[in-house]
Amino acid sequence: MDIQTLMSRFGSMIILPMIIFILAFSMGAKPGRAFRAAITVGVAFIGINLVVGLMVKILSGVSNSMVQNTGRLMDIVDVGWPSAAAIAFGSTVGIWVIPIALSVNIILLLTHVTRTLNVDIWNFWHFAFIGSLIVAATGNLAWGLIATAIASAFALFLADWTAKAVQKYFGIPGISIPHLISASVVPIAIAINWIIERVPGLRDLNIDPETIQKRFGIMGDPVVQGMFIGLVLGAIGYCNTGDFLTVLTKVLECGMGLAAVMLLLPRMVKVLMEGLIPVSEAARVFMQKRYNGREFYIGLDSAILIGYPAAFSASLLLIPMVILLSFILPGNHVLVFADLVVMPFIVAMFAPVMKGNVVRIIIAGLITLVIGFYFGNNLADLFTTAAMSTKFEIPDIAAGAVKIISIGDGFMWPPFVFTNLTYAYGWAALLFLAAMVALLFFFYSKNTKAWEKATGVSDED
Amino acid sequence: MVEKAKIVLVACGTAIATSTVVAIGIEEAMQERGVKVITRQCKAMEVPGLSSGVDLIVTTTPVPGNLGKPVIQTLAFLTGVGKDEVLDQIEKILRS
Repeated sequence: MDIQTLMSRFGSMIILPMIIFILAFSMGAKPGRAFRAAITVGVAFIGINLVVGLMVKILSGVSNSMVQNTGRLMDIVDVGWPSAAAIAFGSTVGIWVIPIALSVNIILLLTHVTRTLNVDIWNFWHFAFIGSLIVAATGNLAWGLIATAIASAFALFLADWTAKAVQKYFGIPGISIPHLISASVVPIAIAINWIIERVPGLRDLNIDPETIQKRFGIMGDPVVQGMFIGLVLGAIGYCNTGDFLTVLTKVLECGMGLAAVMLLLPRMVKVLMEGLIPVSEAARVFMQKRYNGREFYIGLDSAILIGYPAAFSASLLLIPMVILLSFILPGNHVLVFADLVVMPFIVAMFAPVMKGNVVRIIIAGLITLVIGFYFGNNLADLFTTAAMSTKFEIPDIAAGAVKIISIGDGFMWPPFVFTNLTYAYGWAALLFLAAMVALLFFFYSKNTKAWEKATGVSDED
Repeated sequence: MVEKAKIVLVACGTAIATSTVVAIGIEEAMQERGVKVITRQCKAMEVPGLSSGVDLIVTTTPVPGNLGKPVIQTLAFLTGVGKDEVLDQIEKILRS
């Protein structure tokens, strides 16, 4: 029996814990700690699987009745970034992503191409996500792994490029953000900000973030959002499915079920996170020991930016807008739900570019998401295939009743571009992407000041 | 007499990612130093509602002010830089 067969028989629930143990142990974690971490990762997979199962069951029920009721086909369920992370880490690419991204980082540091030391091992899933979609599309593991390596280099470029602006605006010296959701949308923010600056009237609009947060009150809480969205979707889906009591029961069950998902899904991801800590700590110590004394930025999760008011307030307002968009955008099949919580990550790094202007952040966020819906519709088949091949055993998906996607990163441009290019042109596409990333690094190093100014660093700094 | 465990509220943007790293870092270090702690995780925005009854708030992202509790905002658990100093500070506050 070869390794590939063994891996597909075991599935991520068994394989990933083994890899985590080997990685943690070989990078210097104590065997007991590594072992416990490894089991925790396996447990997290079981937990995420259960919650995603519950969510898909509820939402595919709603989606089915909604088609009959309204004629609106919404058969792609948004299962959220936690599911995407689990699928990415659990895929055949995910098994390799940690050594690949660390090696790319070491090489680029040694050659002085990058200044970022990415210790945010958890967010390596974004790189594996791209690779796993490519494997789902082409069946070619080598292409998936190479794309993963290119994506990790691209994240380092984005981190370097935005570092100065992020450090100044958020007051976090020495930090950069190699996060493939938050950082990859910065160019969009720059373009939109440039346009807004040239529109009289619009360029002067702003809203105070504190006011928004006060107005929203408990609606900013995911559990309350889950309940509320569940009630609305349930009412649309089940309004004519029987007598009053039957309808009421179904609607309330839908609300409570989705509230449960909103609370439980993050908890399950926390377990996965817990399991990865010994590996990420060992990797951080390993990397820092080797670069001691050299000046570099430490690459962290954009979660550290979420508490700053402008982006957070903007994302509160974006949530209802995104739900509305899902119903009015022509040709959209995505029923948005679990990833309404990812909004703060999408807009987090808009703030330095737009000097914390909430109106501009919302406009840029909306444009990013409108385009994102079409990326998501396009990638849903591959996302579903990738989920199936990591042994996400969900009956409604297996039966072909629904497809799945997530806003993070299914609505983001890097997975869309990387996957579709590689599917169409194979090796040539990978060469092209690698060359593009190299060129970006090159032009940035030639004209650093001008590039950094675009991200929100002002002249006097 | 059984020593009562101190409660540390750990906040970050999502209550998932960075706060887990911090919470586990605090639990492990305080256990080594012989301080009994219980950590609770929350989002930065939830801090005002959850801060009553806790002994210390540790956060990776800004939290609303005037809570009447000691607040430590730090990235040391994520970067590893200055982690021991922050742990000393936490220990001092929890022992006082």
